[in-house]
Amino acid sequence: MRIFQNTNFNFIRYRKIAYGFSLILLLVGMASLVIKGLNYGIDFRGGSEVVIRFEKNADVGQVRSVLNAAGVSGTLKQYGLDRSFLFSTVFQGDTGQLKSLISNALNDRIKGNAHEIVRIDAVGPSIASDLKWSALKALVAALVAILIYVGIRFEPKFAAAGVIAILHDVLTVLGLFSILGGLFAFMPLEMDQSIIAAFLTIAGYSITDTVVVYDRIRERIRGQKPSEYERIFNESMNQTMSRTIITSGTTLLSVLVLFIFAGPAIRGFAFAVFAGILIGTYSSIFVAAPLVYDWLRLTKSSVRLRGSKVS
Amino acid sequence: MKNKRFNLFLIAIVTLVAFWSLWPTWSDYSLSKQLDSFASPQDSLKFAFTHREEIENARKKSLKLGLDLKGGMHLVMEVDQVDLFEQKAWNKDGKFTAIMQSVRTKASKSDAKIIDLLSAEFKAENIPLSRYFYDIRNSDQEIVSKLEKESEEALTRAKEIIRNRIDQYGVAEPVITTQGSRKIIIELPGVSDNRVKNLLKGTAKLEFRLLREPEVMVRALDRINSYLVQGNQNRATVPGASVTDSSSAAPAQLPLGAIPAATVSTQPSAKPLYDVIGVFQNGNAFTTEQSKDYVVSLLRRPDIQALLPQDSELLLAAKPDIGKNGEKLYSVFLVKKGPELTGGVITEAKATFGAQGVQPEVLMSMNSEGTSKWARITGANIGKRIAIVLDGAVYSAPVVQSKIPSGNSVINGIGSLEEAKDLEIVLKAGALPAPVRIIEERTVGPSLGADYIRAGMQSVIWGFVAVAIFMVVYYRKAGIAADVAVVLNILIVFSVLAGFNASLSLPGIAGIVLTMGMAVDANVLIYERIREELAEGKSVLSAVTQGYDRAFSSILDSHVTTLSAAFLLYTYGIGPIQGFAVTLLIGTSASLFTAIVVTREIFHLLLAKNLMSDKSFG
Repeated sequence: MRIFQNTNFNFIRYRKIAYGFSLILLLVGMASLVIKGLNYGIDFRGGSEVVIRFEKNADVGQVRSVLNAAGVSGTLKQYGLDRSFLFSTVFQGDTGQLKSLISNALNDRIKGNAHEIVRIDAVGPSIASDLKWSALKALVAALVAILIYVGIRFEPKFAAAGVIAILHDVLTVLGLFSILGGLFAFMPLEMDQSIIAAFLTIAGYSITDTVVVYDRIRERIRGQKPSEYERIFNESMNQTMSRTIITSGTTLLSVLVLFIFAGPAIRGFAFAVFAGILIGTYSSIFVAAPLVYDWLRLTKSSVRLRGSKVS
Repeated sequence: MKNKRFNLFLIAIVTLVAFWSLWPTWSDYSLSKQLDSFASPQDSLKFAFTHREEIENARKKSLKLGLDLKGGMHLVMEVDQVDLFEQKAWNKDGKFTAIMQSVRTKASKSDAKIIDLLSAEFKAENIPLSRYFYDIRNSDQEIVSKLEKESEEALTRAKEIIRNRIDQYGVAEPVITTQGSRKIIIELPGVSDNRVKNLLKGTAKLEFRLLREPEVMVRALDRINSYLVQGNQNRATVPGASVTDSSSAAPAQLPLGAIPAATVSTQPSAKPLYDVIGVFQNGNAFTTEQSKDYVVSLLRRPDIQALLPQDSELLLAAKPDIGKNGEKLYSVFLVKKGPELTGGVITEAKATFGAQGVQPEVLMSMNSEGTSKWARITGANIGKRIAIVLDGAVYSAPVVQSKIPSGNSVINGIGSLEEAKDLEIVLKAGALPAPVRIIEERTVGPSLGADYIRAGMQSVIWGFVAVAIFMVVYYRKAGIAADVAVVLNILIVFSVLAGFNASLSLPGIAGIVLTMGMAVDANVLIYERIREELAEGKSVLSAVTQGYDRAFSSILDSHVTTLSAAFLLYTYGIGPIQGFAVTLLIGTSASLFTAIVVTREIFHLLLAKNLMSDKSFG
């Protein structure tokens, strides 16, 4: 079976449209980040969360009013799809007290529908600020590492364009989280530790497709005149299009499986990686390589690439 | 030809090692299946007895499940270094208290070292540390390094004591480690109730303190009462300010909304203290359960403490007495500040039932130094009361009947035998050098863990099915080779986890599923290249050779970037994220081997048998 065989798109000519599209995507995301902000989970804001599971179906409103009546203040939401509720409140070192308050209230007021507290998470404010910092450090370090590696393997312009594409992908996903955060009950899209893992995965993976395109350009550009660059870029992108899309496709498949089967705890992560891979595939074709092209064109320089061994 | 043999040999070795490493996991699984299958518990007990060594061996070497899959408690506790430094300081004054308070606020919001915060704060105030710490002749730098050493020791000691407590309680395979300068990480598999947590929280600081005479306390209470009346009147003259008092006095740190009934009234009362504290004829004082939190917050106020007789403080009972109408009453005690004797002298503790056989109590014996001190103290205070105080709460305050020469002592006033046992544990393990606080907790109940396992298994299976089918549909015969490589890849990931005693968590499973999708990427790159070479009219053999050679550089580049991202995630991430990073690291590295070497060998074998054509790549 073959898809995208022998395509002949003129990516370079239409790159400005792609730039415009990317800019709009980024601006809308940033605007939402400023106006609506992000839906921070307890990992980043600190707090306590309790997951309560009932034996039979229970009404959110009823459970909420029972908890409120018992003087347990906090918010209650449906969690996942299996008669579970997520109760979140401010941080308490002593979750035992919280647990017994909830248990007593529910046992007293909701008869004939046993409940179980299946999970408790409590994150103190100092831990939360810790997590924020190490998340930022990890992301910056990853970008620097990729910049250096691609810089050595290809050349600095390629590396810089690749890192810009990664930033583009991560920021777009971040914007998506801001826009869609809290809209769906089955996936609240809260920013937590797993989303940081998703961002690093996106960063590491988004460059994968870019490298495949770069690799082909590197193979073909040697000894060519700058006037030929447009043709070479276009041909390289068309030649690698099939593999760029298939590699992303297989990974998307496995992430989709995670989204469907791995349960609510992984869902936000799976969504982020899914969106990130989609956008990353787009950006390696429409952002990274065209940026390199424009850069070469504007600086009127020719490419001196390392590591291209053509047998 | 030689090279080819070597590769085949390598593949065989890797496969064998993977199976060998996973064998205990399999036998552990089948043994526990067998144990479950017996009809009667006697039979399974007998089986367990005869196969004991086998079962233990398998369990020890089998793939461990993370806390989230097995159910359990993950705690991060913080040693209160501010408190530790306060203990170390001398001639503390108001200025010192204010500075420490500000250090405490800053420390709660950041992960900076407390000692750095402390020295910065003193520097900002232009006060040498030697005014409060160690010797006046010490330079700031010396003091900082001394305090730093102190805090390191406190952390290690706290860890040891916590380990002791957990061991005494009995938790299977607890993991206790320290992190940074003030954190202790505790992993308790299979624990989801609060009892262990309660054991960890208390400092277990045991003190024997002399009680002041009842009339001294009554006079002090009178003073506090009239001070409060005065305060209310003062405030009443300032319009609009009177409302704030009682509402702000309500314990603000309790977000659960348990506002004591006695404090809600906004009307200034004529005798504000006696609304919340009652005094019996015999001079014993008490407070009710509703007012307890308010009284505690009142007693913490420095202006109230200043009204007490010198070197004294008011403490509450640990347990309530039941009043006439069934209400819970907590006794209030005025005790001397300095303890007569502390828990350091305790060598043995034992939970039992008291003389009547109903009341649980804890018997303690002391070392020789403690014994002689105890004899002197009891001898000198016959007829007086000595309070037994644990972590600032009075358990009992018996009247000394006679001199006690044996070094024995007893704590009573304990609610249940279980609690007495807990006390026994903490007393035996010793007191923590400074209070500890839980700053992070993640508890997963066993039923949710089972759900996670099911969800994880389903993801792995469906992930494999989806990727495998896609590869076969798209690449035909070559797709099958890639699928074989993926199976070996997953085997390697599991076996490395089992072999290195790492545990598998739900994020780890997510990493494995993601790896499956990424592992075939290398094959896609190679196969696409081979297709290109075939399209140029090359023979299958040379297309395969060229395909592998030319795809290699982009495979390497893409794998290195994924690996470096995973590695950074492992370095900076904590807990669950690390589990994900580890499986991604192992899986991606292994895929370099499986997707390149293994599939290539498969093609070579097939080519040698003339089983490949240019149709084999779809």
